[in-house]
Parts: sequence; structure tokens; C-alpha cells
Amino acid sequence: MRAVVALAVMVLALLVLAPLTGAADDPEGEGLPAALRVRGRVAEEFAYRLHDPGDVSKLKTLGWLEGKYTFSETANLRVGARGYYDAVFAATDRYPDNVRRNQERELELREAILSVSHGDFDVRLGRQQIVWGEAISTFVTDVVNPKDFREFVLPDFTELRIPIWALDAQWRLARNVTLEGVWTPDTMHNRLPKKGAEFRFQGPEFRFRNPVVRLPDDEDEFSVARSEGGARLSVLREGWDVSLIYYDQADKTPVLFQRQVPNPPRPYQIVLDPQHPRLHIVGATVAKSIEPVVIRAEVAVSVGKRYETTDPLDGDGVVRRDTVDYLIGVDFPLFWDVDAALQLSQKILMGDATNLIRPGVAGQVTTSLALRLSTGFFDNTLNPSLLAVIGLERADLRVSPRLEWVLSGSVAVAVGADIFEGARRTLYGQFDRNDRVTFTTTWRF
Amino acid sequence: MSKAALALLLLATATPAFADEAADIVRDADRFRRPAESFVWKISITSQEAKKAPSVDGFEVFVKGGGRSLVKFVAPPRNVGRSLLALGRDLWIYLPDAGKPVRIPFSQRLVGQVANGDVARADYSGDYDAKLLGEETVDGVACHVIDLKARTKDVTYAAVKYWVSRDGRRPVRAEFYAATGTLLKTGTFEGFKEVVPGAVLATRLTLVDGIRKDRSSVLDYGSIVVRDIPEKYFDKNSMKSLD
Repeated sequence: MRAVVALAVMVLALLVLAPLTGAADDPEGEGLPAALRVRGRVAEEFAYRLHDPGDVSKLKTLGWLEGKYTFSETANLRVGARGYYDAVFAATDRYPDNVRRNQERELELREAILSVSHGDFDVRLGRQQIVWGEAISTFVTDVVNPKDFREFVLPDFTELRIPIWALDAQWRLARNVTLEGVWTPDTMHNRLPKKGAEFRFQGPEFRFRNPVVRLPDDEDEFSVARSEGGARLSVLREGWDVSLIYYDQADKTPVLFQRQVPNPPRPYQIVLDPQHPRLHIVGATVAKSIEPVVIRAEVAVSVGKRYETTDPLDGDGVVRRDTVDYLIGVDFPLFWDVDAALQLSQKILMGDATNLIRPGVAGQVTTSLALRLSTGFFDNTLNPSLLAVIGLERADLRVSPRLEWVLSGSVAVAVGADIFEGARRTLYGQFDRNDRVTFTTTWRF
Repeated sequence: MSKAALALLLLATATPAFADEAADIVRDADRFRRPAESFVWKISITSQEAKKAPSVDGFEVFVKGGGRSLVKFVAPPRNVGRSLLALGRDLWIYLPDAGKPVRIPFSQRLVGQVANGDVARADYSGDYDAKLLGEETVDGVACHVIDLKARTKDVTYAAVKYWVSRDGRRPVRAEFYAATGTLLKTGTFEGFKEVVPGAVLATRLTLVDGIRKDRSSVLDYGSIVVRDIPEKYFDKNSMKSLD
């Protein structure tokens, strides 16, 4: 219903704005984009879990369909949807019903954007992904959209991001200087896997003697009062591509606040209340090409970030630790035809990290090193790639080799693997028993 | 004054003149690769490797003054949605799977023997210092031979040996070199036509690998529309919405 109302508002806005934006800049129509463009893809994704039990863990058929209608060079409407069905839930009985209900099938509006330009001013209104940041395969400053972690971080990032209803306005202040403002009442949270799912995260190891009640995380996900927003200033000077960001949002991952509730004549209960504390994120990105090398860096300071603690003396079981996330990366060619990217990232907590137990937090400082290699043979029809990420403090790691074979301009198949190693309570080690091989076919039209 | 000193003096005074003439020749030759300040050009690239079936990639290139260009991938379907943005000597690629523009080098391979810079940048006079080496005949055409050295490291090739016809100053042939002096590829400019009124352009560039001669790519420049292009086409923050 919410989507229908929002779409209706957009169409109304379109009817009002489109004539205003008109064809003032339009020439005779030559060289302009076609009025209606439709494209899509269908994919079959198969995964086989290698460890006890060795079994099929994904048998997913996905379809994407998107259309773009161009009214003029200054106004267009883009709509995209994605649907999938995962037959693994019918083929095996390894997953509980709550996981089946959550992950078996989905039909989602992924995109519904009205784009309008007027001179140096661009507005994008609707359901969309707003992506900030320079680096690949990480979310340091990619903070606007919530993420879907039901398959950990293994899908493409456009699939991981959950689109939100938002207003995104850009103003080109001067050549190569752009100010962007974002506002959204769509305060959706990250989607996390349910208990029993293939990639269920390890939670904090609470040891309560009293009965525990966990409240549902059921905050209304569409609220003007709790709306989020921020701004980004991007500048390109002398080849240095720099941006400064500020974003005010609710923490996309719930933090479990504790409280004791009397329950006479029985012992008091521990109530775990998932909340989404407000975060003020201040950050910057920079990128520079020094042929044939590209360097990039990102930093984000999350002010107001809170973590669960297992310290029994802490009243609400939550401590505030403002957090700095940063990365430094370099892309460079190896042997002319191999593209390599090396990236060092750190999470630094402003304060003591004792008793803070999260798989992604090794201590006050959490460091990871990522290496990506890719190349192409036979005119890029056979494309091997490798992504390796290692957590340096706890030596947990992920290795994902992949080989793509492009059969034609429309069809590609890929075989790959996702290997995890490490102790149980580490980011990658928690999935040590979830190593898998994958096979994917994709048809684009 | 000795003869040697006189020769040195003549050489010293003549070199800038040769450099100026070389720069003029390169600037004139660039005009056969760029018809106006602002235009849209369709390019298809046919890549061939040994006896394999050739592959064809399609691009739509939006060019505006100030060394700005946006290259949209229009074929085959697996590449549709990608785009390259060049702002002077800075280059980004937009990949739908990543959902954002990513900074990349000009020298990175686009398809076949074609580097990003071969499509996104056509400004030899702005990117290289030119020096006249002499004259040669290429396929019966009398040519100036010009040595181009990259002014900065931010361009596609460290050096180019460039043959430009004496008559009309059309680009004829080019050899592209890495900083190590390795020959990366050779290019041949052909198919000169008046594709827009008053502008004769090279409509075909054939690039052949410097070592594996059985690897080649042919860039065919198709229909062209000279028109003003809005500024948003040259803003990396707009790449996604232009997809």
C-alpha cells in the first residue's frame, strides 16, 4: 500500500513537473535516448554446501525486469522489479519454517525513480539506491541504504542494498563541484537471517540466570518523525576526487538493550529490547589515478554507535563507542593483463572493547586486508577472478575464486566457491562450516 | 665562430620551430577525430583473436569541450548499462553490479586491443609533447613522422609514434608504446568521410597487438550528431541515472 501511495505521488509529480522541464534543451531529437527501454535478466543460482551435511544450499531462480521511459532529455521514469524462488526449501528439510517463510520467495519493487533535471539541478524521487563511496566490496561510506545480509555479503552489492523511498537532489555548484542532499522517511533496517538460516550470524553470548524475553524489532519502517538525511559535497581538482559526507540515521542493525522486569513471585525477567540508536556519520572519500595505479581511501566516523556488552555490571547491557572505519586501497595492473586491488581497512572503537562481542569486532582495533585479482582470456570470454579477505587480529578469512565463461553476448555461466576459515566467533569463522561451491547461469536481454 | 658552434646554434634555434610545427600538425590531425566541441558518436568495436569468431561491442559516445566524454555501452546485452566518464585525465566506470562509479586508469583494457583512453579520449595535442622526426611514405602516402611523449603519467600511452599525411595533415598510422619502450599496438586510420557538413573524419581505426599480430580490434565510427549536451552527462554523480 505504501509503495502504491508513493508511486501515485511520483506520477502526480511527474505530471506537474514534466511539462516544466520540457524540451528546452532538446534538439531535433537526434542522438537522444529512446523513449522506452526495457531490459532484464534471468539467473539460476546453485550452491552446494561442502560440510556436514554436504547438501544443496541454494537452488534459486531469479528474474529482474526494468523499464525506463524518457519523456525528454530532462525527465525520465525508471521502474525495476526483482522476483525469486528458492527451491532448496522444497528440495531439503534442513531449514526451519521461519527461514522458509523468510527466504523462499520474494517479489520486490527494486526501483521506481522519477528523475528531473533543470539546468544544474537534478532531482531523483522514488525508491532507489543511493551509493556513496569509492571502494569496492565494502560499506565504509555506503551508509544510506540498509543491507540485506540474509546471504552474508556474498551477492553483488546492488542486490545487498535494500532500496528505499527517498528524495535525492544534486546541485552542480561549479564545474566538478557537486552538492547532494538526501532525505528519506523510509527508515528500514538491515535484513538479517532468521535463526536456522544458512548464514545466521552469531549473536552475543549472554549468560543470564533469569528468564529472558526478547521483544520483537517491529518499529514502523516509514516515519517522518524518524526520517533520515544528509549531504555530500564532491569536488574534483587536479585529478583528486574528494567528497565530504554527513548522514543522520538510525543504526540499521538493532542493538539489544537489557532491562530487568519484576515478575513476582518468580525471579525478575531480563527483557532484551532491540533498538536503533541515532547515529551521526561524518566521513570523507578520496580517489586519485596515477597511471596505471589508482589509489582510494574512505573514512567514516559513527558518532553515537552502541554495542552490546556482556559485562554483568552494565545496567542496560549496552555501551557507547563512537567508531572510526577507514580503508586505504590501491588498484594496479599485474603482468599487464591482471587487474589487482589491495585494500586495508580498520575499525577503531573510541574506548575499551573488553566484553564487546560481535563477530565483526575483534577488539578496540579490527583490521582486515582484502586482495582482488581478475583477468580475462580469449577476448574476455573466460574471466577468472579471486577475492581473498583476511581478518588480521584473529586470522579468519574468506576466499572466493570464480571463473566466468561468456557463452555469448547474452549468456554467461560461472563456477565458484566461497571458503571460510577461522574461530567460531569471528566474522568469517562463524561460517567455517558453510563453505560452498556455486554454479550460476545468467541470461540477459 | 666554428662550424660546430654554428651548427649547435642553428639546432638550438630550429628545435622550437620544429616542435611548434609538430604541435600544429598534431592539432590539425586531431580534427579528423573530433568534428565539433559537442557531439554524439556511435562506435562499434569488432575484436578478432586468431581464428576465433569476432566479437562486436557497441558504444555511444557523448563528447563535450574541455576533454569531457561519456561512453555508454549499448551492446551486447551483458555490457548494457555500463558507462565510462572521462573528465580531462580522470576516468570512472559505472558498473550496474556495483551501483556506483569507480575510478579506473585510462590504460586499462576496454575490449580486445582497445584501451579506455582509445575511446574516451581523442586529444593527442593536449596529452602529448610533439617532435618532428622526419618524413616517410606509408602505403604510398607521404607522411610527417612525429614523436609524441606523454606530458603526464595520467594518459593512456607513454609514447606514440605518429604518421600524419603531408597533404591535408590526416592521421595515417600510429604506434603506441609503454613507458618501458615496449610496442603495445599499432593503429591505422582509414575511411575518411564528410560525416557532418564541413567535417571530414576518420571513420575507422584498426588496432593490432604489438606482439600477437593475430589479435586486432576495428573501431568503426558510425552515425554522428553535433549538438549541445547537458552538463549532467559529465557529472560522475549522474552516471547511474543516465544508464
